Amino acid sequence: MSDSPLVLGFETSCDETAVAVTRGFEVLSNVMASQVDDHARFGGVVPEVAARAHVEAIRSLTHAALREAGVHSMDLAAVAATQGPGLAGALMVGFSYGKALAWALQVPFVGIDHMEGHLFAPRLEHDEYQPPAVVLLASGGHSQIIHMRDWGSYETLGATIDDAAGEAFDKLARFLGLGYPGGPAIDAESDDGDPRVVRFPRALPDRPFDFSFSGLKTAVVTYVRRHHAAGTLPAMPDIAASVQEAIVDVLVTKTLNAAEETGVPTVAAGGGVLANRRLRVRLAEECDARGLRLFLPSPALCTDNGAMIGAAAAFRLGRGESTSAEAEIDSSRRLSES
Amino acid sequence: MKMLAIETTTAASSVALADGDDLVASAHRVDRRGHVGFLVPALGFCFAQAGWEPDNVDVVAIDVGPGLFSGIRAGLATAQAVAGAVGAQLVPVSSVDAVAMRAATGHRKIWSLVDTRRGEIAVGRYQPVPGGVVRDGSTELCTPDELRAMIEEDASQALIVGDWAALPDDALHGLHAVKTGRPRFPDASAVLEIARGIVQRGELPHPDDVRPHYMRDPDVTINWTDYRSEGPWQ
Ligand SMILES: [Zn+2]
Repeated sequence: MSDSPLVLGFETSCDETAVAVTRGFEVLSNVMASQVDDHARFGGVVPEVAARAHVEAIRSLTHAALREAGVHSMDLAAVAATQGPGLAGALMVGFSYGKALAWALQVPFVGIDHMEGHLFAPRLEHDEYQPPAVVLLASGGHSQIIHMRDWGSYETLGATIDDAAGEAFDKLARFLGLGYPGGPAIDAESDDGDPRVVRFPRALPDRPFDFSFSGLKTAVVTYVRRHHAAGTLPAMPDIAASVQEAIVDVLVTKTLNAAEETGVPTVAAGGGVLANRRLRVRLAEECDARGLRLFLPSPALCTDNGAMIGAAAAFRLGRGESTSAEAEIDSSRRLSES
Repeated sequence: MKMLAIETTTAASSVALADGDDLVASAHRVDRRGHVGFLVPALGFCFAQAGWEPDNVDVVAIDVGPGLFSGIRAGLATAQAVAGAVGAQLVPVSSVDAVAMRAATGHRKIWSLVDTRRGEIAVGRYQPVPGGVVRDGSTELCTPDELRAMIEEDASQALIVGDWAALPDDALHGLHAVKTGRPRFPDASAVLEIARGIVQRGELPHPDDVRPHYMRDPDVTINWTDYRSEGPWQ
């Protein structure tokens, strides 16, 4: 797609301010300002803190993305931004900025579904990645399994009924005193641990594609309190590895249930939780064992980023779609089924 | 000099264009929700009215608050994007100043109010002078009770403008020497006028220094329990 239009993509749905220049599915630049330090002292993403940080960062990040790609804003053929789902105040910054920039440059604007962005992310690195596929999306804000019948044709097979997987990592890491963000903290702590030391419960065995993590949280809290009081608490790396295994096991099992049920030849994944090393290894092993092709974006494209928004925009623009100037953000947007 | 002004810090939203001293187009709407949906269509409307292209603009004036946090950000993000795309100078203006600018002047001291929600209001005081107003002290955030105490303490006759309708019914009750008046909300045309003065005085900020004027730290409630403080680790 070297003759594809140059797109500037914005993603500000949660705690990353991200801007990228893409040409079709080619990434020319992909810059972001993580707010992890801003939220660390609160142990979770604070919506108002996130929105404030976006408006502080977006102007200079836009310049950085253009500079790094070696393009001038006059060269852009379109601008795209995440429209939802996400935190309203956070979405509003990137969406307002992107829409106004498109107007000032007199080019089309496309509002993108955040989840569709994640669905397109593997395509940025793998030309062979094609539907039909089952895609696991897991982050601090969302956890779901999507059946991608074709580009633009999606069915949500399952989702979390309480916490998102990343949220479960955050809460458990916080309880265990391992720090924030929880995913990387538990991942690191698990290095020297044995995941078989404690078998924490795997929730919702009779709902093959849905997740629940609140029961796990309760189980871990109860277990730790009881064994701490009795002086029989295993070493922290073993607890961390066991917690991680419980979360990973559920994510992998349900994703493979979905692949089996739909009969697709391909599995893909995205979202910040896919930076977890154990999850990546387990997905690779299980897909391998079943002869499924697995497409995992590199960690920088798993977390929220502007390039995936640009990639989804290339698809939407290719279909002749754009978003009206009157459009508002849609913080509870659901992935369209069409 | 061609100027664009954007104002979205209250329930009202407005956009205005000026060529030199002349206001050439404006659009406004009162609706607390919908700053994001209003702005670009309003820009399109005003530029069509004026017969301008976006890159004709030399200065983008932006109301940076205080006011509604999300409105401040929608306006500032829009202003940053337009200024950046067309190479225009970004000029920040205060919402409280913009309200006071349009107060009917007389001999009364002007108290300009902008609702910042959560039971607080931003207030600025101004003295009327020929052709305008002069700020008397800095903008303060206060509760309705504190505002009442400040007005009682100040001996001069007062004209209260801005969003006094958002105050509790009895907030100003029984205060003598107090009148209420218009405007209720800041407007982009007032933002334009103030920005013109800033440009003429050469007080142009670096774009990184054009930032929201929230006047209040963010609420930091995380909507889940702090397990760690309950846990065995403390
Ligand atoms: Zn995401």
